[in-house]
Amino acid sequence: MTAPASQPTSFSRVPGIAFIFKKALISALVALVLFSLMIGIRTEAGPTGQLIFWTRFGDLASMVAIVFGGSIVVELLRQWWGPVETVRIVPPSAQNAMAIGRRAIAPVLLIFTFLVPVIFYDQRYILDLGILVLTYVMLGWGLNVVVGLAGLLDLGYVAFYAVGAYSYALLSTTFGLSFWVCLPLAGILAAFWGVLLGFPVLRLRGDYLAIVTLAFGEIIRLVIINWQSLTGGPNGISGIPRPSFFGIPLTPGDDGLAARLGIEFSPTHRIVFLFYLILALALLTNWVTIRLRHLPIGRAWEALREDEVACRALGINTTTTKLTAFATGAMFGGFAGAFFATRQGFISPESFTFQESALILAIVVLGGMGSQLGVALAALAMIGGFELFRGFDQYRMLVFGVAMVLLMIWRPRGLIGHRAPTVFLERNQAISSELTSEGRG
Amino acid sequence: MTASSTAPLLAIRSLRAAYGKIEALKGVDLDIKSGEIVALIGANGAGKSTLMMTIFGKPRARAGSITFDGRDITDVPTHEIARLRLAQSPEGRRIFPRMSVAENLQMGADATDSSEAERTAGLERVLTLFPRLKERITQRGGTLSGGEQQMLAIGRALMSRPRLLMLDEPSLGLAPLIARQIFDAIRTLNRQDGLTVMIVEQNANHALRLAHRGYVMVNGLITLSGTGAELLQRPEIRAAYLEGGRRG
Repeated sequence: MTAPASQPTSFSRVPGIAFIFKKALISALVALVLFSLMIGIRTEAGPTGQLIFWTRFGDLASMVAIVFGGSIVVELLRQWWGPVETVRIVPPSAQNAMAIGRRAIAPVLLIFTFLVPVIFYDQRYILDLGILVLTYVMLGWGLNVVVGLAGLLDLGYVAFYAVGAYSYALLSTTFGLSFWVCLPLAGILAAFWGVLLGFPVLRLRGDYLAIVTLAFGEIIRLVIINWQSLTGGPNGISGIPRPSFFGIPLTPGDDGLAARLGIEFSPTHRIVFLFYLILALALLTNWVTIRLRHLPIGRAWEALREDEVACRALGINTTTTKLTAFATGAMFGGFAGAFFATRQGFISPESFTFQESALILAIVVLGGMGSQLGVALAALAMIGGFELFRGFDQYRMLVFGVAMVLLMIWRPRGLIGHRAPTVFLERNQAISSELTSEGRG
Repeated sequence: MTASSTAPLLAIRSLRAAYGKIEALKGVDLDIKSGEIVALIGANGAGKSTLMMTIFGKPRARAGSITFDGRDITDVPTHEIARLRLAQSPEGRRIFPRMSVAENLQMGADATDSSEAERTAGLERVLTLFPRLKERITQRGGTLSGGEQQMLAIGRALMSRPRLLMLDEPSLGLAPLIARQIFDAIRTLNRQDGLTVMIVEQNANHALRLAHRGYVMVNGLITLSGTGAELLQRPEIRAAYLEGGRRG
């Protein structure tokens, strides 16, 4: 592996085979130590309460072997894919193809999403999974406003999801309001709570903000559990009305949509309708976010993420900027919550635990903070991945963890770390070339 | 100090400010008239940057007054002060690293009520003044060199069409040649556009050559003032700020 002398590839230090083996050996040793107790010995409580244990050295050996082999593969891949300093040996034609592929991802994905109910009409499981993924896409996009754009680390996003869900559930079961009236109300209420959370944390950033938002999420959940008379406590709220097709119910009765259209009723109609409903809500979130990014307020959010002091010096009111970010993000969370309530027909505090917040945040971070497409891909990978590995049962979290580690090694900024600029020079306002060529200063 | 019939653009009277119990400004008086370049020089920790930040309300003045264009701005919120077209390029440049050069510049104009035409004209002015920025217009701010970042910070401040531009240590960490370019640009802005500039500097030689008038700050107090040329001749200035290393 000697580089030709003529080529000035100065920093391409290619580690030798000995190095790779040494590294793999160390990894295997660490794995052996870690797994010897975790996998090598299995314990269980016997019938009379005594401790039974047996050894699984076969499993242990295979795990260590996987780590050893995987470590070599990782090291080889690293040389092929290359970190920043090494020269990429990916051929230019492949790079071109990848660039085209990258540009085509978003439209292809969108068209495919539109066609999912057509292609998988008979597969209820896939439709349900699609709805679930889209819900998380929407939540990810909503949180992306707060975390990705404004840079405010929010660990309690699920609180707004809960506010939206309970708003719809309570308004519809108590006052009989329809979904389409409740949807904006749920958004407004969630935005209101977003502002309410925003005020006390205006001065906080980073870790401190994360702790307070984490507590906020827990407070909302505890209030829901304990305010039995209003929320039903841990029993939750059931019998939440299903959404109607703009007033026309999706039921087998005479006034149902199927009867009016003169087609045979099928319960799948409702699922398809829900699919397109959440798709529309998610796309609305995306559209609003993209629009806002091109307006001063969106730019102010991003500038706030970068440097708060500079923002203030430039005349940006950081208070209102932060509050609008919290409110906008919370509003989308509220919409998603209302959708969740109408889809499930039943909600309880169990659905709004910290784990949900963490999952949504993981989607945003893995997707690449601030990238809309990245967040969508991450939601697909995370939620879809969870389902995909359901069969592996006990290894599911292991695979998940390995995937996360690998992603953070190769893509530390997330799946799509590239940030598209929002301001361009128009051609007619370009400066004449003689001015720019006259000198440097 | 020469007496002038016109009221100063910025007038600071017996200004006091503190961080907790540590008093950083102990009664500062300072005037900036329209159309002049004023340099504020002094050693580390003299309170130069604090003075600039106090004008912007961070930290708030404990006593005294700050008047900008006849309006008392001592207690005006920071973001509103900037909207009065009092712009600053803060210490350490503080550009937005992940945003493009174009976006950084746009941020300077966002909080003002400039019309689209004024923005375009402002952008054109900045890019003429700093052609380097035009070459780098789509790059991320964080990928620029130190000198280019300083140009960007000044350009961003200029985008708000300021009546007073305040620069905190624009030559900090820059190669002498680049620092010269920055100072030349400031001189051009002052001569061609009539821009009023306040410049806080440790590089006393450069700053005083550039400035019409200068103030020297020591331990939170203004100890000397005069024209730039006058101050450059003062033996105590020469000893403390210009030949400090050679004094033995």
